[in-house]
Amino acid sequence: MRNPWAQTGNYRTSYEQDTTIFATYREIASVVALLVALLVLPQLLERSQVLTLNFILIYAIAVLGLNITTGYAGLISVGQAAFMGVGAYTVALTAPYLPFYLTIPLGAAVAAAFGAIVGIPSLRVKHLYLALATLAFQEIFVWTVGRMPALAQGASIPVEMRNFLGYEIGFRNHNHFWYYVILFTLVLMVIAWRNLLRGKYGRALVAVRDNDRAADAMGMDPGRTKLMAFALGALYAGVAGGLLAYFQRSVVIEEFTLAKSVGFLAMAIVGGLGTVVGSLLGPAFIEYLQLSMERFSEWIKGSQAIQQIIPPGVDVASALLPLSFGLVIVLFLMFEPRGLYNWWRLVRSYFRTWPFKY
Amino acid sequence: MSDFFQFLISGIAVGSIYALAALGFVLIYKSSRVINFAHGQLIAIGAFIAYALAAWLKLPIALALLAAVLATGLLGFVVERVFLKRLVGQPIISVIMVTIGLASVLDGLMYLTPFGSGNFSYPAFLPQEPLRLAGITVSYPQLLAVGFTALFLLLFGWFFQRSTLGISMRAVADDQMASMSVGVSVEKVFALAWAVAGVTAASAGMVVGTVSGLNQDSLIAIGLAVFPAVILGGLDSIPGAVVGGITIGVLQNLAAGYLNRFVPGGGTELVIPFVVLLVVLWFRPHGLFGTEEIERV
Repeated sequence: MRNPWAQTGNYRTSYEQDTTIFATYREIASVVALLVALLVLPQLLERSQVLTLNFILIYAIAVLGLNITTGYAGLISVGQAAFMGVGAYTVALTAPYLPFYLTIPLGAAVAAAFGAIVGIPSLRVKHLYLALATLAFQEIFVWTVGRMPALAQGASIPVEMRNFLGYEIGFRNHNHFWYYVILFTLVLMVIAWRNLLRGKYGRALVAVRDNDRAADAMGMDPGRTKLMAFALGALYAGVAGGLLAYFQRSVVIEEFTLAKSVGFLAMAIVGGLGTVVGSLLGPAFIEYLQLSMERFSEWIKGSQAIQQIIPPGVDVASALLPLSFGLVIVLFLMFEPRGLYNWWRLVRSYFRTWPFKY
Repeated sequence: MSDFFQFLISGIAVGSIYALAALGFVLIYKSSRVINFAHGQLIAIGAFIAYALAAWLKLPIALALLAAVLATGLLGFVVERVFLKRLVGQPIISVIMVTIGLASVLDGLMYLTPFGSGNFSYPAFLPQEPLRLAGITVSYPQLLAVGFTALFLLLFGWFFQRSTLGISMRAVADDQMASMSVGVSVEKVFALAWAVAGVTAASAGMVVGTVSGLNQDSLIAIGLAVFPAVILGGLDSIPGAVVGGITIGVLQNLAAGYLNRFVPGGGTELVIPFVVLLVVLWFRPHGLFGTEEIERV
């Protein structure tokens, strides 16, 4: 028996082994190390840095969902933010009566139901048309919320939670408390994701994506599989939306617009479609890109010398964000369509045999 | 009743703009199966180039319009050559995302010009007084919109029926392999489709500019209104694009006229196209004139 810790690759010989999550002991060790790092990290950071981390982790949950619909099932969804909004508004309406560990699953369930409804055309048509169905839902959602007095017509609805099992959540520890809640949820969602997609159901998704007629002939039900993919993707978005509502202490429609949906797609692509690592790297990359662009435009606004060069009427500050965002998408698609995940893979395969050459 | 006809007439005028924008969109889809999310940006850029030429360089308006149409056609061509040509054969999601990314880049570029914010209008070149016929008012820009669409339809009809290029485009749309084997350059056809799409987008943008003034957000929004129009008409049908565009325009105006009073905050004209889109996808996904896809394993 070879030493399992020195194992450098995948030596699976049976189907049983092939369905395991981790191929080597080192993988388990690296995941544990990552989790410990994530647990310790907020203790070393400022409140504002934890705030950014929280957004990244919440978006990571939404992108995980998108990776089921788009990454695995190949159904393009430009409505992920709207599904997130469904979850968030459900939480906003039920939060005064129920604790958060009930409202968030409830929001997720409602979002999943909406996902299934929007996915109905997938029983008959394929990819491109579905993208447009989600686009329509996205637009209808924002419009409807903007006209519903019960939802403050899209203005801010407060979501308050002051203590949890006697633990007071105030201004100082708000970000840190929610960091751990979000992290815990994210870990649960990742475990569910992995288990869901390595089993029969995940394989059905891939089969339906690659050729739905063939999948049909093999005894899978393409229509139901696609509907499930939509519902599951929306469920993840609903969880993310619920967490966002509590964490931001309010629900505003600006968080759930088409631009945000496009942002999620960009995160999924930049991270690498259909991967857990990508679902974490993508949101982090896009969020930090936007943050640095915002800082950069602040700096431009503050600097006298640059202000004098720029002709009047030109708004460099608001041009930077869409310009950098669009360029990142286009460049990744043209030069690294497998996303940041591929870089991670290259690094990992280098270290697999380290310190030996091979 | 005269209200109804008024809504109908202005609906047809708005719808002609959608139809014009949808023509280019359908052309791209028909030849290369790409859904172009940057169409609104092409519309806006065309309209702004025309404005810059007419108002800043003081070119005669007809010349400015013509130059802007050609420039936007060139932009469409360049976009295809530089970005989309590399993605032939990639999964659909990549192609769609590239057009989304391009839309974002073009947005950013427009913010770098003075057109990123504020409203502009072309130097007046049409009579200001609207026409009145039996209690219905029609403004000259509205007539221009309908006229432009009709003109483009005629041109397209001639182009696709008579010219070699047009016929080869139809051939590529029908069967890429077969058309390659008889010597049609598929690459050239793709590039041409984008160029023609740029031309129609620019004309749509200019018509919007004369009807309701130039504003980046509202010009880009037309790019979104195109989706319901093309789905209703059938994604790959040129007559469908026109019928769909005009239907959406009329529905919008009727909704604004009759439904807005029942909705707090109004604005039903903004959502009705997307409701139509969803309903069409549920019940008749290939639209009125689109071809129903039949697949084999």
